[in-house]
Amino acid sequence: MGLSAAMLPFVTNLPSVSELALLPRKKRLVIIFSPDGIVPKTFWPDQVGTNFELKESLKPLEPFKNKTLILNGVSDRVRGDGDNHMRGIGCLLTGTELFPGNVQGGSDTPAGWASGHSIDQEIKNHLQKSIVTRTRFGSLEFGVMVPDHADTWTRMVYAGPNKPIAPIDDPYQMFGKLYGQMKDQETLKSVLDDLQADMAKVKSQLSAQDRLLLDEHASLVRDMEKEIQASRKKEVGHKVPEMPAGVRRDNDKMPELSKLQIDLMVSSFVADSTRVATLQYTNSVGQARMSWLGIKEGQHDLSHEPDSNKEAQEKLTKINRWYCEQLAYLCKRLAETPETDGTGNMLDNTTVVWTNELGQGNSHTLENIPFVMVGNGLDFKMGRSVKFNSLPHNRLLMSLAHGMGHPIKRFGNGDFCGDGPLPGLA
Amino acid sequence: MASPIYTLFGFAGISLFLGMSVLAPGQAKTKPKAPAKAKTGAQVYQAKCAPCHGANGQGGAAYPKPLTGTQSVGELSKFIAQQMPPGPVKCAAPDAAKVAQYMFDTFYSPLAQERNRPARVSLSRLTVRQFKNSVTDLLSGMQPRWGVGTRGGLSATYFRGRLWEGKDPIKRVDSGIRAQFGTEAPNVPGLDKVDPHKFSIRWVGSVVAPDTGDYEFIVRSDQAVRLYLNSQTKPLIDGWIRSSNDNEFRVSVPLTGGQAYPIVLEFSKSTVGVDDTEKRKKLKPAPAFVELQWKRPKLAVETIPSRFLFSQEVRESYVVATRFPADDRSIGYERGSSVSKAWDDATTEAALEAAGYVASRCQLVTGVDPNAADAKKKLAEIMLRTAERAFRRPLTPEQKHLYVEKHFVDTVPTDSAIKRSLLMILKSPRFLYREIGEAQRDSYLVASQLAYGLWDTLPDDELLRAAAAGSLVTKEQVEYQANRMVQDPKAWTKLREFLLSWLKVDEIPDLVKSAKRYPEFDDATASDLRQSLELMLQQTAGSEASDYRQLMLTQQMPINGRLSQIYGGGLPKEADFQPVKLGTDRAGVLTHPYMLSRLAYLETSSPIHRGVLVARSMLGRTLQPPPAAFAPLAPSLHPSLTTRQRVAMQTQPDACSSCHNMINPLGFALERFDAIGKERTQENSKTIDTSGLYRTRGGAVVKFSGPVDLSNYLATSDEAHAAFTEKLFHHMVKQPALAYRPTLISELTASFVKNQFSIKRLMAETVVQTSLAPERKPAVQPTKASAK
Repeated sequence: MGLSAAMLPFVTNLPSVSELALLPRKKRLVIIFSPDGIVPKTFWPDQVGTNFELKESLKPLEPFKNKTLILNGVSDRVRGDGDNHMRGIGCLLTGTELFPGNVQGGSDTPAGWASGHSIDQEIKNHLQKSIVTRTRFGSLEFGVMVPDHADTWTRMVYAGPNKPIAPIDDPYQMFGKLYGQMKDQETLKSVLDDLQADMAKVKSQLSAQDRLLLDEHASLVRDMEKEIQASRKKEVGHKVPEMPAGVRRDNDKMPELSKLQIDLMVSSFVADSTRVATLQYTNSVGQARMSWLGIKEGQHDLSHEPDSNKEAQEKLTKINRWYCEQLAYLCKRLAETPETDGTGNMLDNTTVVWTNELGQGNSHTLENIPFVMVGNGLDFKMGRSVKFNSLPHNRLLMSLAHGMGHPIKRFGNGDFCGDGPLPGLA
Repeated sequence: MASPIYTLFGFAGISLFLGMSVLAPGQAKTKPKAPAKAKTGAQVYQAKCAPCHGANGQGGAAYPKPLTGTQSVGELSKFIAQQMPPGPVKCAAPDAAKVAQYMFDTFYSPLAQERNRPARVSLSRLTVRQFKNSVTDLLSGMQPRWGVGTRGGLSATYFRGRLWEGKDPIKRVDSGIRAQFGTEAPNVPGLDKVDPHKFSIRWVGSVVAPDTGDYEFIVRSDQAVRLYLNSQTKPLIDGWIRSSNDNEFRVSVPLTGGQAYPIVLEFSKSTVGVDDTEKRKKLKPAPAFVELQWKRPKLAVETIPSRFLFSQEVRESYVVATRFPADDRSIGYERGSSVSKAWDDATTEAALEAAGYVASRCQLVTGVDPNAADAKKKLAEIMLRTAERAFRRPLTPEQKHLYVEKHFVDTVPTDSAIKRSLLMILKSPRFLYREIGEAQRDSYLVASQLAYGLWDTLPDDELLRAAAAGSLVTKEQVEYQANRMVQDPKAWTKLREFLLSWLKVDEIPDLVKSAKRYPEFDDATASDLRQSLELMLQQTAGSEASDYRQLMLTQQMPINGRLSQIYGGGLPKEADFQPVKLGTDRAGVLTHPYMLSRLAYLETSSPIHRGVLVARSMLGRTLQPPPAAFAPLAPSLHPSLTTRQRVAMQTQPDACSSCHNMINPLGFALERFDAIGKERTQENSKTIDTSGLYRTRGGAVVKFSGPVDLSNYLATSDEAHAAFTEKLFHHMVKQPALAYRPTLISELTASFVKNQFSIKRLMAETVVQTSLAPERKPAVQPTKASAK
């Protein structure tokens, strides 16, 4: 790939002003994962309908209450190999069974990877097919403190059967992915003048015949400089985010890492580098120790405590409230960011889904998987608390695709696709 | 017919016109013979034009401007007829046309000027190979290297539990990894009382890539496996999670020839995740196997042979993955004589990649924690040293500032400083070009010429120390270093590349034969043969004696059991490669079955291909391409003829015979061997005729009764010695030999003979002579044809 090819990503996806009016609005989908179930009584609203009260775990969503949709009664029906944590995360977005394999969980039979791709990738593939919705990356997979080993518990997104996609949980790596080429060009530009000056010095030491070769080389370097200047004029009109130095991947740095990742995600939306994103906090069975909330125990250990352990339930509520704060921070950033094409702010065009691999940690149930949505990307009727009577989550996955303009007839295991998307969302 | 004008050295003494006819034979041959009275263009020019314009168009007193330009022959001709000479009587049109053609060919056209340019050492950039090797060494050299340990296998540790658990693991060296455990525990001495339900093994060491190219690594296993190659942190193959029944993992990676890469293979029986062995103990143990294979560029899949494995892990080394445009090979050897946009873009991309690699893995590559308080200071020192190694000489204070110091300041973040500095260094003409320090002929320049000449990479620390001490001045000093350096595996890598290119085996895709005619010859045979050839080169040219005569005459062919089934030698089918004498008609590399199969068609041998290789590569003769494209006569149309008869028939016409009189009789001597290089006595029920002959440059006729005779001649012939010396010279030095001095090749050939035909000593002598011979004076007069 030559330099000019390296610059292409920055010049695509930038329709001219006259074209803007003709384009449909940019719809976006974000899926946020946090692990180990929730505390039902501090999570689910007591009421259904538009008049509901946000409980302790969901309090951070108060500013966005009229843009929030809480879905109770959606269940992961996929069975087969693997324990519930494994199936919980591996089937969450794929809606299909895990392959048999050699990963032994705390119970059940050993399993391998999921046998199908995940809904975000389905939507990405659909968007990438059309020039109107195609973006540089198609999808971005963010993570925060995802353990550095690839197994069924740490992977949620699948490009296909047996093809898990590792989330990028190092913000610097994500920054490199988003802005690396542009940074490279800046670096290159910063040294070109000096290089050319030294080339001239070298040239003066050469014979007339040998100078011809270096002259030719020097003109190539000048061409490169012109190419860089030409590409800079076409650059996306947003500021490259400033990255603070040295935020390490460390449990205690989770809040900083989370903020950096969310900021980068919003930047990637501003550049229209992607319209699908996932953000995975730790992993299924995640053991975040939220010392900044005064909690010393690991989350997974706490999640096994019985309902009668009041202290554990309070801590788990605090933990889930913290995740909810991250969701709220993303929503706030999106709401503050105007769309470049004049279609309102980004939250008007983005739906953020927050979910989990389990309904509740101590029972490991796959019933009542939490699905909380904020934003208007999918044209759902928001500002509601909805209760279904245990409908399979495959139907919700289909709803997400339909909301993103991709009306699929089934997704994952067809037995759980019933009558299509969940009723009454749109 | 052989003629002295084919040799490079013949040029100096022959007339200009004759020299021209060699370089542009089409023109020379189509020109009708001039009738006695008509004058040639040269004669007309010398009589009528030379008085004013000079004998070679260089200009004279009356008209000092040289006759050079870009007009066509027609335009020139018209101009001469209308304008020349000054005065009322103009040149007649037929003469004007002849003069125009003569001037154009001899000195006027840009092409003629280029041809007349004397051989000189010209500014050259690093070849792609040199660039890649240099970047790898530059980055690897930021920290001390580790040794690779002993050749012959990987260090294995056997654990009595899954995931490296259990007491008293057993260590040993395994020569290759290919284990069928079945339902048992590994059969390793000392490893008793192991539960066949759960055990684990870790193999650690280095693997050396023999050639540059894409290697496919293949791990086959039904258990949890993980392969790390050239990375301690990121597995190349991750089969730790078993899912579905796929027991084979394949990944392709680019590797650099001659480089050692750290390799770790992990294997664990039982499940991963939660330990459920107790539950499984009631059940019969599952079967287990593991195998580590690779597919070298162009070869078949095989278990990685022990000769490529070493017992100690080396540091990660950086591989330049950027695709580069191929180097110019128009005159027979790779050289960095031109630049292009594609090349410049590739160097930029490669430099950015390398800079990004160092910045993102600062601690690993440089040993400096980028967050430490004194990181900038330490890194600036490392970068200064890196610049010095890259430029092959110390930097001036001004250069130090430009390339390093101005970047490592407080206002620039550490990773940006690393990137800027390294990018500057790798894009600098001081790194990219050789011979730039020609004005400063000193020990540093000698060090650089030794290193690139023998290794195709940067000088090592010892060379740089010698250069700093100014101790690369006398012949003894330089010889000392050269003799040390030819013993290094890097010199063997370069020599091996030369031999493969000399034998033209680096150019071909896979070796394929007709499955109908030769059902026994399959992909595995082709792959085995190639390895056999490489082993033969290693055991002759690569040995201590490195004797050219042994290369040309050895009767020991390294073959394995599979090859023995086809070529004889009586080895059991499973036998590994070992030297075997195959019949009485084989001697040396030319009779190796790989060479003979390579120089053959799908079903029949090809005396022409064989003869061309002997004539060009081994005897250094120049052959013009055929006057037109010919398809070989189909053997099926001449079922009663032998290949020899068919070839003789087809190349009978005069237009063919001038070259084929040399080519065919050389190739005929190898007719003892068929299209897969197997011995034969008959073809189409006729007895094979293996007689051949060669007319030397001096006109003597040498006759051969068969292949051994031919090899004997090539081992002892002065022509072959000179040709080998010259080809090796150009492969190593990448500049025309004539640019140093006209007698250099004959001097080197003489020392080659004197030194018992040691190829390694010839390599050493070649770099000693060129690094101490800075002559750039024209070796031949400007009007004489040059080596180009």
